[in-house]
Amino acid sequence: MGGVNLAHDVLDAQLVDHRQEKIGRVDALLLELEDGRPPRVATIVIGGAARARRVGPWFVALRRALRWLFRQRAEHVSRIPFDKVRRIGDSIELDVDERSLESEHLEQWLKERVICRIPGAEGEQK
Amino acid sequence: MSARTIALDQLVGRVVRDADGRRIGRIEELEAELVLESHGNDYVVTRFGVGRFGILDTIASGRIVQQLVRRLVRATSYVRYEIPWEWMDLSDVAHPRVTRRERELAQAP
Amino acid sequence: MKKWGEVALGVVTSIGGFLEVGSIATSTQAGAEFGYRLAWVLVLGTLSLGFLMEMTGRLAAVSQRTYADLLRERFGYRFFLLPLAAVLVVSFLVLASEIGGVSIALQMATGISFSWWAIPVALLGWALLWRGTFGIVEKGTALLGLVAIVFAVGALKLHPAWPAVGRGLLPSMPRDDRARYWYLAVSILGASISPYLYLFYSAGAIEDGWTIEHLGVNRVTAGLGNLFGGGLAVCSLIAAALVLAPREIRVDRYEQIAMVLASPLGRAGFVLFLATLCITCFGSTLEIVLALAYTMAQGFGWNWSENLKPGKDARFATTYTVLILLAAVPVAIGLNPLTLTNVAMVATAASLPVTVIPLFVLMNDGDILLKHTNGWLSNGALVFIALLSVVLLVAAVPLQLLAGG
Repeated sequence: MGGVNLAHDVLDAQLVDHRQEKIGRVDALLLELEDGRPPRVATIVIGGAARARRVGPWFVALRRALRWLFRQRAEHVSRIPFDKVRRIGDSIELDVDERSLESEHLEQWLKERVICRIPGAEGEQK
Repeated sequence: MSARTIALDQLVGRVVRDADGRRIGRIEELEAELVLESHGNDYVVTRFGVGRFGILDTIASGRIVQQLVRRLVRATSYVRYEIPWEWMDLSDVAHPRVTRRERELAQAP
Repeated sequence: MKKWGEVALGVVTSIGGFLEVGSIATSTQAGAEFGYRLAWVLVLGTLSLGFLMEMTGRLAAVSQRTYADLLRERFGYRFFLLPLAAVLVVSFLVLASEIGGVSIALQMATGISFSWWAIPVALLGWALLWRGTFGIVEKGTALLGLVAIVFAVGALKLHPAWPAVGRGLLPSMPRDDRARYWYLAVSILGASISPYLYLFYSAGAIEDGWTIEHLGVNRVTAGLGNLFGGGLAVCSLIAAALVLAPREIRVDRYEQIAMVLASPLGRAGFVLFLATLCITCFGSTLEIVLALAYTMAQGFGWNWSENLKPGKDARFATTYTVLILLAAVPVAIGLNPLTLTNVAMVATAASLPVTVIPLFVLMNDGDILLKHTNGWLSNGALVFIALLSVVLLVAAVPLQLLAGG
């Protein structure tokens, strides 16, 4: 059975949705520990809060201060069950749609409110 | 049955001690495999990769330093153990312990 | 025919490395103050950049991921923040200087003060990025950048004593004014070996769809491109040595640099100097902005490509929009473009270790590069460049304080 190296191949790997759109990277990986059972790979987390925690408490505090400054209230983090993983290769393909992801909030918001207000933004390829 | 959820990066880099309390290295990798369960397929951790750099161990806690050191200081003092999940005691996540002595551990080639 | 098109990427990147405001400023200052004696530093910079570009290009072609991608994937988010921060801060300074370069050229052409040109230049750059594809940006800059050949024409017309030039191409120690000599050496290296260049090149290889089949093209492109750019930079040094040094003119304004071509080539030289400054700095502007936006997008895993409509990569498009407009501010509020350039060059030199040292790890990883990992020559070069980068880091600030112009 193919073994997967979690730190090497999963953490920080590029994620793509079922249409091959890039949806961020594995910012955190959650494991479920239960006595007498092997640790279960449970959840992929995508989001700035998860990334910040990996740097250190000072970074989390800095981020919180900046978000307060810009009046950001909600955290837009996606927690995706690991069983949504379709394929693990150069990038990890998930059985999700980017449009349904909370972590894609900024992308959607920028697209609707800013980018698409400027002519020439719509469409697929230039 | 106590179930806890921890993040992978809370484990990677942690110092691991053996049954005698001797420091045997840091967690570098967790190898997982797909297992067929009644309620669906799950990836579970089967092995922990624990590496030791000898005297350089104290500075080699960051991924880049580890990789850099491994490239430069080729074979000499670097040792890597492959530890089956059953031998790893994670009741205290910050201080993982192996339930065997160091000499009983299998080394990676 | 297709291969010549691919060489465009190398030429564009090298234009960004050697013919933009930093190199023009530092090479001509060096020529004016030390004659041919600092030419060897340009050779060192050219070779170093050539090796770094070939490596990040090979990295992208074989692994199908850019250098920024791998910095995040292989070393984790926490480490990635270090090169990201260094590149953002330092490249932003260079970006501001490039906009300054275009603005000064327009001031010399029209008489309208440079600070008025900063925002229009940034808006034009933004418009090109918004609508243009990567191919257009890449090939357009490479083709128009050929105007820089005027530096070779100018240098030749001045009839340099080639044996003396040859001696200058070999390393030498300064006799007097040591601090200033080494300060200019550090500036030249900062102007030549800029992290945004090999980050851009790596991303460009993916934009152009390079694969393992392109490894030969990669070597040719990195080599020829840098030969072209470095050669023209040496020509600008020679021209400065022959025009400015005898008159003991120490460069502190871009107008003086114009003399370097106006003297041998008259009015045509002056006009072509302005055109070169304008085009090469504008090309570098686009390159730096893209390099920064690429690095952000790739590090965080966003959708990115100059070939996608902005609606498909909103965060990427927003990043380059914000960066190019912000970078116009220093020049728009009237900061001296030449001073900005000098500071940016030294800062770049000091920032090199965080992007050179990780490359050593990646280029020897067989998982990423399969059987195309570094041989002894590339590794030797990389170790040398890494050591050089540490020396630059240590020497940069003291030299800036002692002898900064």
